[in-house]
Amino acid sequence: MYDFINANLPYLLAGISVGGQYALIAIGYTMVYGILRLINFAHGDVFTAAAYAMVYMNATLPLYISLPLTIIFTVVLGYTVERVAYKPLRSAPRMSIMISAIGVSYLLQNLMWYITGGLAQQYPTIPWISNTVTILTATTKMVTLITPVLTLVLVLLLVQLINHTKIGMAMRAVSKDFETSRLMGIKIDNVISVTFVIGSFLAAIGSMLYFTNYTAVTPTSGAMPGLKAFVAAVFGGIGSIPGAVIGAFIIGIAENIIKAVGLTTFSDAFTFALLIFVLIFKPTGLFGEVTHEKV
Amino acid sequence: MKAFKIILSLLLVVLAGFLIFYSINASDLSTLLEDIVPQETMQQDKGLQKAVKRINDSLAEANQDKTLRSLNRLLEDFSDKIQMDAEAKLDLFFYRNNKVTLAFALFILILSAALIASALLKQQKYQKAIIMAVLIAMLYSGIYIVENLVGSNSMLMTVLKKGAIYALLAVSMNLLNGFTGLFSLGQAGFMLIGAYTYAIFTIDPASRAQVYQYYDGGLVQFTLPVMVAIILAGLAAAFFAFLIGLPVLRLKSDYLAIATLGFAEIIRAIFQYDGLGPITNGSNLLRKFTTFNTALFPFAVSGICIALIALLINSTYGRSFKAIRDDEVAAEAMGINLFVHKQLAFVTSSFFAGIGGALLAMYQTTVQAAAFTSAMTYEILLIVVIGGMGSISGSVLASFLFVASSEWWLRFLDNVTYIGTFKVPLLRSGFRMVVFSVIIMAVVLFYRKGIMGDKEFSLKRLLEPRKGGKRRG
Repeated sequence: MYDFINANLPYLLAGISVGGQYALIAIGYTMVYGILRLINFAHGDVFTAAAYAMVYMNATLPLYISLPLTIIFTVVLGYTVERVAYKPLRSAPRMSIMISAIGVSYLLQNLMWYITGGLAQQYPTIPWISNTVTILTATTKMVTLITPVLTLVLVLLLVQLINHTKIGMAMRAVSKDFETSRLMGIKIDNVISVTFVIGSFLAAIGSMLYFTNYTAVTPTSGAMPGLKAFVAAVFGGIGSIPGAVIGAFIIGIAENIIKAVGLTTFSDAFTFALLIFVLIFKPTGLFGEVTHEKV
Repeated sequence: MKAFKIILSLLLVVLAGFLIFYSINASDLSTLLEDIVPQETMQQDKGLQKAVKRINDSLAEANQDKTLRSLNRLLEDFSDKIQMDAEAKLDLFFYRNNKVTLAFALFILILSAALIASALLKQQKYQKAIIMAVLIAMLYSGIYIVENLVGSNSMLMTVLKKGAIYALLAVSMNLLNGFTGLFSLGQAGFMLIGAYTYAIFTIDPASRAQVYQYYDGGLVQFTLPVMVAIILAGLAAAFFAFLIGLPVLRLKSDYLAIATLGFAEIIRAIFQYDGLGPITNGSNLLRKFTTFNTALFPFAVSGICIALIALLINSTYGRSFKAIRDDEVAAEAMGINLFVHKQLAFVTSSFFAGIGGALLAMYQTTVQAAAFTSAMTYEILLIVVIGGMGSISGSVLASFLFVASSEWWLRFLDNVTYIGTFKVPLLRSGFRMVVFSVIIMAVVLFYRKGIMGDKEFSLKRLLEPRKGGKRRG
């Protein structure tokens, strides 16, 4: 028993940690989907952009400035993407908006490639959370312990925001019925912008935690975590924040268990197999609401 | 008019006959050489002797490229010593442009046949078919002639080859996304299956030990003919599509997109799996399989495939696809079996994506599963959007534009450039793709219909834009 724990604890810890990071990205997906019914393919690239912002700012600025600046940069980027690429297509067919999202993702990746020259950059070490700690027998970074706690705190705050503030109420209304809430005098564009701001803010935090673990930043390194976070959001029931968080933790842990078994090639494939399984047998996910298509 | 056409076509036949006669006549280079190189000068000049000998040697080897090269050198180096009369000059011209002349003669023959046919067959549908035939003949002989003039490895030919392959990929994706309204992002996965199936079955048995060096030479120890392997590539992709389609096609728009994207990723992982190494070579490259060396090959295969897709789209099935795209519920109420038609579109599209993948493998000369990422699917999707969702000719046009600008026309953006001592800002590696994606975003945002919208290219509209066709919004 002791040996078993000994051998598998590092994987479990890594799973919980990466699960928390996926959760922070997944919230961005699930909120945007809940309101706009749009898979924001560019979200993973916003996540990468946050990492690059940190890399470049940290090279010249002290940490206590570069950290908040990175968050501000990411939020502004997410907001701009929404204003430029999604807002003009509000009345267009859903496929057009999705294509626009893919286009933005393509643009951001190429832009990051251009700026960085395509070479992998080393993510700066953030003091304290990069320290190594030993739990039982497993050695890991502090970030592994912080991530789940920080994730839960942020999610609790977010749930409070959504349930108990005016803007939160507006968000809930818009995701229930876009047209009616517009008729009720809710400024749809502001609500959507706030959604993107919150999503990008969480992605920025997620990127800091994620890249402290996986320190090589390349223009496409956010694509796979982005897709996985989306899968987590679908798994938990798209539109539901607790669902996204639980889905993300399950995926993070399952993925690392698969690595522990020795099937590393399939750790990505597993996520998608899970997605297809969920879509076929319970399309609404764990906590999603059932909607019926009207003729 | 009728007599005029027939006389003209007879004249053309005579012209073609002359061309063919001359090309065949001029093919005897050694006698031609004896005529143009005077024997006395040759006795005295060692260099000239060597040059002539080199030509004769390469003639004996039947190496045409080498022969032409040595001939060119002879003509350059000893231009003062060679005596050429008009006839010899003509013969030499025909010898050097042998292939081009033959292709041109063939084209003239087709043209005259078309002229005779159009004189005899008056009905509109025949006339249309004749124009199509002439245009196609023109396209293919044009490609052949250009290829022989500029060389097979020039930038123009590279763009044409890759463009033809991308055209097939884009049209097959358009069948699904533009015509049936199924937003599928699995293209890269099916291309991968096609590319691998083709590569695995056409690697030269002698090189297998080298290619599969980590897997004891691999399991498959035979090769199939190229055409069989290509069709098998399509069938393999179609088979997987059938299996994937069973559960996935029940899903609605964006769920379908993410599920097919997921399947593509799963396929990629499976092909890289070490346990399948004896077949797929794990995550290593597959190479040394049969490739093509003329642009006619991808053009012919893509051309046939695109024509088949066009036929499908204009059939009853195609009309059902469009009905499903426009309104699923209404289509079902009209008695269209949604699942069967969606499955048909999905399987057909994947079949051609598989063939496209096989062509891409031939073009690249190596295949590696890791390259078939979702980014590849996105590229093809963007081509479809630029060309216009629901337009075959739009997709074809956009493919060539896309490939030409990304590989060729925008290349200068990647090079650091100086005008005098002034360094042009921004220009450096990677800028091309930034400009390129900005252009794509502009199309997506402000020009949503793409180049062709959902219309097709038509000669009639081109020639008489005011009169022809109804105006549609």
